[in-house]
Amino acid sequence: MLRFLPAIVTVVLACSAAVTGSNAQVAAKKAQASDPAASIRQALSQAESGRCAEALPVLKRNTQGLPDKQLRYHAAFAVVNCGMSVNDTAAVMNALVLLRRDFPDDPEVLYTAARIFAQFADRTAKELAERFPKSPQVGRLNAEALESKQMWKEAIEAYRNILAQDPKVPGVHFRIASILLDMSQSAEAAADAKKELDAELELNPKSAAAVFVLGEIARRAGSWDEAIRLFTRASQLDVGFLEAFFGLGMSLNAAGRFVDAIAPLERYAKGVPDDPAGHYQLALAYSRTGNKAGADRELKLQQEALAKSGVRRPPSVRVPR
Amino acid sequence: MRRYSGSRRRFLRGLGQAGLAAVLPRGLWNAVPAPQTPPAFEEISPDVSGIHWVHVAGLSREMYPPETLGAGCAFLDYDNDGWMDIYLVNSGKCDFYNPPRPLRNALYHNNRDGTFTDVTERSGAFGTAYGMGVAVGDYDGDGLPDLYVTQYPRNVLYHNNGDGTFTDVTEKAGVAAPGWTTSAVWFDYDNDGRLDLFTCGFFDFDKPRNIYCGTPALQVYCSPNVYKGTPCRLFHNNGDGTFTDVSRKTGIDKNLARAWGAVAADINNDGWMDLFVSNDKFPNFLFVNRKGTFEDIGALSGVAYNAMGLARSGMCVDAADFDQDGWIDLFVTGVDHEMYSLYRNQKGEAFDDLAIPAGIGAATALMSGMGSRFFDYDNDGDIDLVMCNGHPDTVVQQRIPDVKYAEPMLLFRNTGGSWKNVSAESGPVFAKDLASRGLALGDFDNNGSVDMLISINDGPPILLRNNAGRQNHWLGVRLRGRKANPDAIGAKITYRSGDFQRHRWLVGCGGFLSAHDPRAVLGLGPRTKVDWIEVQWPQPSGKVERFLNPPVDRYITIVEGEGKWA
Repeated sequence: MLRFLPAIVTVVLACSAAVTGSNAQVAAKKAQASDPAASIRQALSQAESGRCAEALPVLKRNTQGLPDKQLRYHAAFAVVNCGMSVNDTAAVMNALVLLRRDFPDDPEVLYTAARIFAQFADRTAKELAERFPKSPQVGRLNAEALESKQMWKEAIEAYRNILAQDPKVPGVHFRIASILLDMSQSAEAAADAKKELDAELELNPKSAAAVFVLGEIARRAGSWDEAIRLFTRASQLDVGFLEAFFGLGMSLNAAGRFVDAIAPLERYAKGVPDDPAGHYQLALAYSRTGNKAGADRELKLQQEALAKSGVRRPPSVRVPR
Repeated sequence: MRRYSGSRRRFLRGLGQAGLAAVLPRGLWNAVPAPQTPPAFEEISPDVSGIHWVHVAGLSREMYPPETLGAGCAFLDYDNDGWMDIYLVNSGKCDFYNPPRPLRNALYHNNRDGTFTDVTERSGAFGTAYGMGVAVGDYDGDGLPDLYVTQYPRNVLYHNNGDGTFTDVTEKAGVAAPGWTTSAVWFDYDNDGRLDLFTCGFFDFDKPRNIYCGTPALQVYCSPNVYKGTPCRLFHNNGDGTFTDVSRKTGIDKNLARAWGAVAADINNDGWMDLFVSNDKFPNFLFVNRKGTFEDIGALSGVAYNAMGLARSGMCVDAADFDQDGWIDLFVTGVDHEMYSLYRNQKGEAFDDLAIPAGIGAATALMSGMGSRFFDYDNDGDIDLVMCNGHPDTVVQQRIPDVKYAEPMLLFRNTGGSWKNVSAESGPVFAKDLASRGLALGDFDNNGSVDMLISINDGPPILLRNNAGRQNHWLGVRLRGRKANPDAIGAKITYRSGDFQRHRWLVGCGGFLSAHDPRAVLGLGPRTKVDWIEVQWPQPSGKVERFLNPPVDRYITIVEGEGKWA
């Protein structure tokens, strides 16, 4: 009997230990439940070692309400990383929202958001291509990708393919017009773009964008009356289209109609306060209508917007010798 | 931002900066049948003119900014023989450049037969540093044009001794203006009858502070905005051969500048000479002269920024009343994707940019404007516009599509209510890609057709004979001030023939790093008679003199108060 004693003792001790351990775990869990920071720290440790499946539920549950800002920051990043690895899009999105809200001036947050959104775009595009390979949407995505790479001719060809499949797809003529204007600054390119824009308006008479670009072409040609008519129309088609108000105000200024220019420019400057152009044109309109105080105020705002936009900073690499 | 508004905004900006250029296709000139008559402008070869001097830029691996920016040139009659001589500015020794062989500026004497003789050695006006530009003015009123040569790192004033020699009087005069000066202007800012001196401060540079720009794979000449600006300067002429720096007192140095060009003209007709100054990546200045002190009204007058409220790379400036409404208009060039601006004076110290409706905006969308000037090249009485172009960065074509280092000239003819690009029909030289910098206007052969001298960076200058002006009649006028400043800068000349009446102002300098024939050539078109000519002398004179039935097709000199021409 005695010979078995050690074994029994061992078992008992083991059981005792097991009971004790179980109790400790329960106690620990209870402690963690009452101390989310502790559970987050453990989850962070798990996440670091790649155990995202275990870590993520804890992180998702506890990150939002963490009072410790530094811990919340690390936890949110862990959610982003783990969420991406287990394809939990909602968790990633929520964590990015938290990071953007609580750490708006952190460049790492902006960088991560940009990187993650790019990955989302990539994944979504692949899904679209796999599930609907012959859809016009795939064609359009392809054309836009080519356009973003400034592969102008290929992009135009891709857009034309879409039109060959369905000549009535809205927005495609507009894109071709935009490319033509990006490709060349010649009068011929403007004339070709105008044809595409007219075709766009045949399909979609309410395309404020097409009317706007036609207005800009007219403005660049110095046809102030035509530009004013088109910008007015664009601003009517889309009352929130602030650039149309800017184009209108600028054209009215150019035509010497400074009094008329004030209202659209005020609207633009109010809606886009960071754009120096709106303040500058408004300053000119005020100045020419005798509102010196208004002109001075807008010039000051223009200067502030310029400083904020950093347009004076050099665009090139600088290495002092 | 709303849907697609981002791309629309970018589009708008792109257009705003670039314009829809009607760029002259390459090789177009070759498609035009050979002209039966001499072209409007004809290149005179060095073998004919005798001008064999060559500008040496000293282009280096380090790409020091001054290397691609100079230099200027001048027409002047240094010996008062009635024929325009030539002065050319060269690079020279400085902290970043030690030329392998000595370089010098050049003074060429006009032999009155279409040829020139190099008289530099005798003149002594060699230059003393890395040359940029030249301004010509009779600062001491002795009847002889003096030379102010702008340089890096200090300028030099050469007094004309009247015997073909010049003396460096910089130290005594106190006008060295240390730093990097580009253009300079002689004009009388305080209406005391003496020529004062304005100098354009460019950026704060020296060899140890040279900056590498571009990418590791492609070094480029830096855009000036990587350097800090420096103030412009105004020197008051004390009348005893010395000058006093009044930049602070007059408000000229209130803002830092990266100034390229300057022109002095009375833009508000108040009898005080104002200054229009172009700045590179800073807002242009329009210094309005408030009786001896200056207020910069550039922003609200409409000439400081582009339509988007952004400062451009202001390069060359000029002033003339191109629409003959009695108010001086302005012109400024920029670099590629900016467009030049043609500013019509709306009175009330306000200007509107007519470059787009004039067609100048589209034609210059990809150009970088250097020496440019208003002048009546065909003597029809309307003021035309010539533009010499060339980008400051030698490798620009490797990084910006459709933009080149060397670019062709442009000539726009004023047809009395609109502008016409006549470049393609004005001579083979307008099809040439040139690294143009300075442009001097002057009638070197005294035939009433104003000719051109173009300085080329790191190359020989180009002398162009004007054949177009000979088709019409003209009257050339040289003014000499007595109570007014000696060069009569600011004078208004009005002339009438039957129902045809025009006027001209003598402005201070204008252009880019260069100085011009001081005589005004008044175009008459087919008219063979001038009924009268009237001179309104600048302050402190303010005197108005009218002369009946002056001759045509020749030059006359009018001295203030003498009541006659000679």
